[in-house]
Amino acid sequence: MSREASAARRISSLFMVLVFLMLVLSLTALYQIFEAYSKTKTLDIASVMLSVSAIALSIYILSMMRGKPVKLGFEPPKVSTVLECLNCNYRKVRKFERGDYIFKDAGLCPKCNSKMFISSIYREEEKGK
Amino acid sequence: MASDVSQPVGQAPFPENNVIGWIIQLVWIIVFVVLMFYGQRIQMRIMLKEIEGSLIRLKMMRDKGREIAISTVKEISKLDEDPTPRIDRFLEHVDISPVSLDPAGIIQRLEHLIDVRELRFKDEVRLMAPGVDEAQVNNLTNVLEAALALNQIYKSIRHFYLMGKKTLSIYIIMQIQMILPLVMKESEAFANALMAFTLGQPIGDGIGALVAAKLMVGHEKRRIAKDIVVSKVPIEGRTAYVLKAEGPGGNVGKPGEAVKNIIEENEGKISLVIVVDAAQKLEGEKVGEIAEGVGVAIGGIGVEKYKVEEVAVKYKIPVNAILIKEDIKDVVSTMRKEIADAADAVIERIKRLIRERTKEGETLIIAGIGNTIGIGQ
Repeated sequence: MSREASAARRISSLFMVLVFLMLVLSLTALYQIFEAYSKTKTLDIASVMLSVSAIALSIYILSMMRGKPVKLGFEPPKVSTVLECLNCNYRKVRKFERGDYIFKDAGLCPKCNSKMFISSIYREEEKGK
Repeated sequence: MASDVSQPVGQAPFPENNVIGWIIQLVWIIVFVVLMFYGQRIQMRIMLKEIEGSLIRLKMMRDKGREIAISTVKEISKLDEDPTPRIDRFLEHVDISPVSLDPAGIIQRLEHLIDVRELRFKDEVRLMAPGVDEAQVNNLTNVLEAALALNQIYKSIRHFYLMGKKTLSIYIIMQIQMILPLVMKESEAFANALMAFTLGQPIGDGIGALVAAKLMVGHEKRRIAKDIVVSKVPIEGRTAYVLKAEGPGGNVGKPGEAVKNIIEENEGKISLVIVVDAAQKLEGEKVGEIAEGVGVAIGGIGVEKYKVEEVAVKYKIPVNAILIKEDIKDVVSTMRKEIADAADAVIERIKRLIRERTKEGETLIIAGIGNTIGIGQ
């Protein structure tokens, strides 16, 4: 796969050169069109549209090729554990700790000294996801 | 000014002596001809490039999954032996489905294969990490299964990519390119699952088990089928057999077998079966939305569903389902708050269903389906 990855990089750089070439040619064409226009006072609309489209396309491709950080899904989410007292309904939310599970005993209630247990474990979805 | 007049009106913008203009015209013509004859090939190359990018990502996921599996086993195992070769062997595991040319008895054959597979996986884990408790064996099995799924997805996509590249068949390439977004979503779900299984956190699929656990807490439990516990719970003046997989290890058990055993124990005198499970939401639906219906809401290959359907038909018992909607990514990743919060609303729905569909003093079954990782009882 490392060979595949390096092949992908090679294609990517070749592709980038081609896109740059397209951008340069389109800009030159646009310059030529306006130079001709200043002399003849006649504007070739079709050529202008073609050049502008090519410029827009190359800029779009280049912006898409920008390096983005790769997210694989292994990033640990923010997980909370809810502790609850059976007697006085006292609730405490803390960060998840390894070994936590729902209905596990969670010591004594700081308010009434009764038994506490883990009532919920959940993750909150980040906004915008 | 004289040169301006000499240029005929309406002619191309490049004067005859302008070399750059001619080059540009020529390039445009070449591009046009190339696109006309090689357009499909170029499109194919672009698609292959897109698949290649996803393939690299899938490989990274596969490698990271393998790495996590190895480090988790090393962390839990007390052995000095390196588990890497054993895990690598495990990641190449293949399941062969039973022959379906003669469908008679296929469910039993399928169940046997699933049992053998599960036993084999757990034995492998016990060999990798001897002396660990049952809950850890279940969690480690789940970790390895998620890593196995990532490896299998990567290998099948690589297969079609290389085949498409070799044959240059646009149909092979298009097929894989079209399903790629779904494949990537599924792979990310498995990556999330791996993290949840490693830490022993409850997952979205466990909402059915969570509802059952909330109903059975404080009541006596007994084992009714493989990895399934049941409690007799008085609810709304009726008696409910509430069942779920035995937690907090990652387990789904055999809920179909359990429902069948309870019905047989009661000689068919069960007035209602309520099955609670997670269901994949449609785009536009909210996570944690609750839906009701009829039928056996048990996912998977269909063996457990078949058992409930069979016994329900035998004794003419109505089967109702309560579904909690989730995205495919939420099913195997750490339980979202919206899903956890839906548990109490589901219990209210169950109570309403019992009041409306049964009479006081009757007996019913409430089956909480799903992986019970991180959920005790």
